[in-house]
Formats: sequence, structure tokens, C-alpha cells
Amino acid sequence: MVDVKKRWRAWLRAIHRDFGYLAVGFTLIYAVSGIAQNHIEDWGDVSFKATERTLALPAIPDTTPEIVAVKSIADAVGMGAPTTHSRAGDEIRLEYANGSKATAIVGAKDTTVTVQARSRRAFIGLANWLHTARHKNAWKYIADSYAVLLLYLALSGIFMIKGKLGLKWRGTILISTGILVPVMYVGLAGGPNEQKDAIAGTEIGLKSVPVGLGPPRTAPTPQSPTPTPDPEVKGPGSAVLTPLPPDDDQ
Amino acid sequence: MSDSPDLDRYPELADRWNRRNFIKSAVAGTALLGFGGALMRLAADDLTRAARAESRVDGRPRLPPGQRVLEFLRPMGGDEGDGKTETFRLKVHGACKKPFEVDYANLLKLPQVEKMADVHCVTGWSMIGGMWKGVQLKKLAELAEMTDEARFVILEAAHGFTANIPMKEAMADNALVTYRINGKPFSIDHGAPVRGLVPDLYFWKSSKWITGVKFVKNDAPGFWETRGYNNHADPWKEERYG
Repeated sequence: MVDVKKRWRAWLRAIHRDFGYLAVGFTLIYAVSGIAQNHIEDWGDVSFKATERTLALPAIPDTTPEIVAVKSIADAVGMGAPTTHSRAGDEIRLEYANGSKATAIVGAKDTTVTVQARSRRAFIGLANWLHTARHKNAWKYIADSYAVLLLYLALSGIFMIKGKLGLKWRGTILISTGILVPVMYVGLAGGPNEQKDAIAGTEIGLKSVPVGLGPPRTAPTPQSPTPTPDPEVKGPGSAVLTPLPPDDDQ
Repeated sequence: MSDSPDLDRYPELADRWNRRNFIKSAVAGTALLGFGGALMRLAADDLTRAARAESRVDGRPRLPPGQRVLEFLRPMGGDEGDGKTETFRLKVHGACKKPFEVDYANLLKLPQVEKMADVHCVTGWSMIGGMWKGVQLKKLAELAEMTDEARFVILEAAHGFTANIPMKEAMADNALVTYRINGKPFSIDHGAPVRGLVPDLYFWKSSKWITGVKFVKNDAPGFWETRGYNNHADPWKEERYG
């Protein structure tokens, strides 16, 4: 008969090992995208690589047929024939099969064409997409399963090894460290409420920053919080607004 | 003479020695990265210092506390719309007498304004001095004949995203539905073809990929507001979190 008391730790280790193997792919996805999310304020959304270029063309008179204008813009852009094009106000937009767009803004003297393209970065783009379970039906439950897997890895890790390398010495120290770091951070930072108070103090402090420090920017005009006459640019012709029925909750 | 132990003679020390070296390398690498990052940030901070030195006409500093200036809008992700002008429709509805829908071509036929505005992201960056072109929210309210009972404006966007705006900020001169910044159309990651702009609140209130403007009597916290972010979101009060 198997001695359960002696075997349970071996089972714990065996399951821990296999769950560890299972977790590798998920952990790479969540860890790499987690770092990207932590640093979103520094790096922005790194899921995509975006490119933009601007071309200057001669003015396109209003009387130019749209198809002629589109051809001249497409020729200048040099990406072949667009899949769709449209004209609205002073804009002529060309869209391409690969998702790229060229927008020509037609002025009185010249035309500025902005060509925008982007592509999803292979690994980080998908990892970031997978990181949030929002709008993903099955993935939500797969991600839940991974979370349960992680819980098992963490909890089983506590009891995997006995003796000095286990809870009797090293294990206890490292587990305590892992718990103490977030606890100390909350203690030292004061938690969310304390942070709000500190922020209020910062605001008062910054109001007293003397004017004149550092060089002025090239366009330093402060935006006005008080109403000023609007430089209205009337659109060409009157807009068509499609009436809607009142909302049900109104 | 090497300061490492003779691991051939004392193999039981190998694990411990390797671990120590690993920890030393990890600490040194982390410190180097941190130092480099701090240097980079300090070197690129002239715009922030200049902006902090300026004041708005309402007496508030041009740069809200806790913000640093970037030269460009930074893409922050989100559930994108399709970005196409052909399929774009803006629904203006709710507490108003004449709800309506307008497509992209007709949106551009409405009275347009071009406003300079600074925007402030809750994650800590600001972009100042951008020239934004579009239609004022107050113009849409006027066209829809918004009723007096409306107290908030909900900016609706692709995939059910919403952001709630108090009437004061929504009816400001520089609150727009906008399709162009600094003479260029928005790229898809910045909300193309049309996004909201409410510059006096944190930038998440300026919904990208906008699909609707709804006037409501009762406040209805939106996507981020129901996920721990502040309901009002005044950058000068650092109303970042709820």
C-alpha cells in the first residue's frame, strides 16, 4: 500500500512541474505584455508600428472631377490604386487594401497629403491583445484557468520542499519578502487615499511656481477658459442632418 | 589570483556562488537601466519646464501637476472603431427636441472651428499647443435643441465605450468632435476618423472613435469611470482615480 503521507509531496512536485510547463507560454504572453502595460505612459501602445509621411501637391480646384483628383493623388502617393475613395469638405481620402490611408487636404494654394500606415508587431501586438479578456469569449475562461494554474504554482511551491530550503528557513524568508514588498509599499506610499491627499498638496505647491522659469515655447499662448469669438469656418453648403426618433429613455 | 572559490575542490559551493553572481548581475543591470532611464527623462524635460513656467488666463498653471510634456500624442490603445469615413455616423440624441444623425461629409459641412488646446493624459503626459479642428459640442447641442434638463453629455464610441462629461466642460468653447489636429487627420490609433475633445478634463474623456453624443439628465459613469478612474477627472486637481 502506498504511504500517502510520504507520497503527497512527490505528487505536489509532479503536478507543479507539469503545470509549470503548461504555464510557460501564458507567462511569456502575460509577463511581456504586463511590462508593456506598466510602461504605457513611457512607451505608449507598442502593439503597432505606425508610419506617417506628408507630401505637398499643387492645389486641386473644386471643379476637378473626383476621379481625376484621386488619380493625381494616388500617382503622387505611389501605392497603386486605392480600394475606396471619398470626398468630404476640403478632404479627399484614399484607402488601400493593406489598411493604409492617404488624406489630401485641399487648400487654396496647395494640397497636403498625409499618408498613414501601420502594422501590428508580431509578438507584443498579439500579447497585448490577449492580455485583456474584454470582448473575448473563450479567452476569458482560458485566462481564468491560467490564473488558477498560477495560484496552484504559488501555493504548491510553499510545500514542495521540506527542511532548511523549505518553510523552515529559506522558504519562510522569501515568502515573507514577497508579501512584505507590497505591504511596505502600501504602508510607505499610504495607499490610494493618502495618495489623493498628497496630490492635493502638490497642486497647491505648483500654483506658486514663479512665471519666467525656463525659455518660452515657440507657441506659448495659453488657451483661454473664457469665451472668445469663434473663428467659424462655414462648410461648403448646408449639412444634411438625418432626424432620429427620441430615445426610449427620454 | 581569482577571488572565486575553487569550485572543483568544493563543488557544494557551486550553486551558492552561481546564485550570488546572478543576483549581483541582476542588481547591477537594474541599477544601470534605472540610471539610464532617469538621465533620458531629465534630458528631455525642457518642454515640461517651459510649460510649467506658463499660466493660463484663469490663473491655473498651464501644465497640471504631475504632468510632463510630449511633442506628440501618444497612442494609448483601446478598442478601435473601423476608422472609415464612409461608415462614420454621429448620433446626437438624448435630452433634446431634435435628435439627429450626421455622416462624415455632412459633419464637415457644419460650422467648423479650429481651436488651440492642451490635452493631459491621466498616465502623466500632456501635449500642448495642438490645433484641433472640428465642430463644437455646443453647436451640436444647439442643432439638436438640447433641453434644459440635460446636465451631462455622454460621448459614445466604438464597442460601447462611453465617457461622461459635466455640462460645464462639454459646453466649453474648446470642447469638440474633431477630425484633424495640426492640419492632419487622426490616425486610427488616435481615434480616426472623428474623436471627442474635452481638453479641460483628463484625455480619456475625449473619446476616440466617437459614434454618438448623448445629452442626459442623470450622470452615467462611463467605461473608465466604472473601473476606478475619477468621475470628474480635473487634471489641475489630479482627479485621476475614484
